[in-house]
Amino acid sequence: MEVDRRSEPPKSPAGSTGRVTRTALLGGAVIGAGGLAAALPGLAGSTQPASRDARILNFVLRLEHLKAAFYEEAATAGGLTGELGQLARALARHERRHVDLLLGRLGGEADAAPEFDFGEMTRDADRFARAVETLEEAAVAAYIGQGANLTRPNMVLFAQIASVEARHAAWIADVLGNDPAPKAADEAKTAEQVLAVLEETGFERGS
Amino acid sequence: MSDLTLEDLDRDGVLQQDIDALYGRTRADFLRTAVVGGGALLAALAVPPATRAETSKANDVRIFQYALNFEYLQATFYTETEQAGTVSAMAEPKAVWARTLGAHERAHVRIIKDVLGDAAGKKPFFDFRGNTETEERFTRTAVAMEDLTTALLTGVTPALHSRRLVAAAFSLLTVEARHAAWARHLAGIVPVLDAVDRPKPVAEVDRIVASTRFISSLDPRTTAQGRPRFVG
Repeated sequence: MEVDRRSEPPKSPAGSTGRVTRTALLGGAVIGAGGLAAALPGLAGSTQPASRDARILNFVLRLEHLKAAFYEEAATAGGLTGELGQLARALARHERRHVDLLLGRLGGEADAAPEFDFGEMTRDADRFARAVETLEEAAVAAYIGQGANLTRPNMVLFAQIASVEARHAAWIADVLGNDPAPKAADEAKTAEQVLAVLEETGFERGS
Repeated sequence: MSDLTLEDLDRDGVLQQDIDALYGRTRADFLRTAVVGGGALLAALAVPPATRAETSKANDVRIFQYALNFEYLQATFYTETEQAGTVSAMAEPKAVWARTLGAHERAHVRIIKDVLGDAAGKKPFFDFRGNTETEERFTRTAVAMEDLTTALLTGVTPALHSRRLVAAAFSLLTVEARHAAWARHLAGIVPVLDAVDRPKPVAEVDRIVASTRFISSLDPRTTAQGRPRFVG
């Protein structure tokens, strides 16, 4: 399963020229749609809100599929005790529910669930905990990065899920002795940045 | 031009990322400048009819004014607890937590005041009724406050008209949720209640805040009833 990268805007506009263009834009220059489209290459063939929603929902669905499968395996693999076991069970329940909610919104447009191979990661407490932190931080950044791009009904759903991902991230950070709330305002990540994190785990088969 | 909206421009939040790059690396910096950059951009893209845009903008201002009062409440609560010496009496991990939340809520006040500009209201007077004076009462109140803020922001974030403000509110919402989970974890209760956080309507949040009697319309410095322990 691949995110449709063709319709994604480029990660950054071409060099310093793009910067200047944005400065002009943000400085209040009123320019026509032609000018804007030219200033932001890749947006000329912009999609309708419904298909954009579907792309965004499928993007977070991929992340939720991975997390649900990871926590479900960890909860039953028998390598986790105490609080990590409790955390794995709670997160497995939450992420499976997120998958179901997203599938409900997507209907026939949902991408198929990928297959995963977590190796020993779900049995090794230390490695598991660190992977949880990586995945939950990626999820927070993904939801807040996409929330404002959705139509309203899906934006409502994202708000309710984003805060739960943030609770997960804070929980595992505190368990690990890391800072549960490192910033006064959380930073968004683009879809590409999040997918890079996901691909780096190597959990998706064939990815 | 009329069929081009901000959401067309900002798919995947990339424009927002570029704004971050332009104005500073942290989200907080972005939020501080949001009203300058975002306002101009929105004005350039305003979709007729103007009356509808006016109404939506007024509603966004109302939502942020309400959120500002809530951040005032939280910031003052943590500041007062520090000044009362309650925080310095706590064990290390908990003191770090209390100080971090105070710093964040004060930052949120600054961010929202900057977004509102002249429309920002003044800080109300608060009386926390002894809840800042013992670790146990402080912790219990902090948990309730952070859960309530999360529920408030979960509800109002998608109600904002401006996409840029929606993006900003998302970044605050997840921080309040982190605070809530951290508070709960330190208090020894489950950090996450359910798979989704349920929003609370503003009216319900209002009722809960009123029931605490933390917000006082009177300046305690001018009342004759004893010297307040803290003036918020």
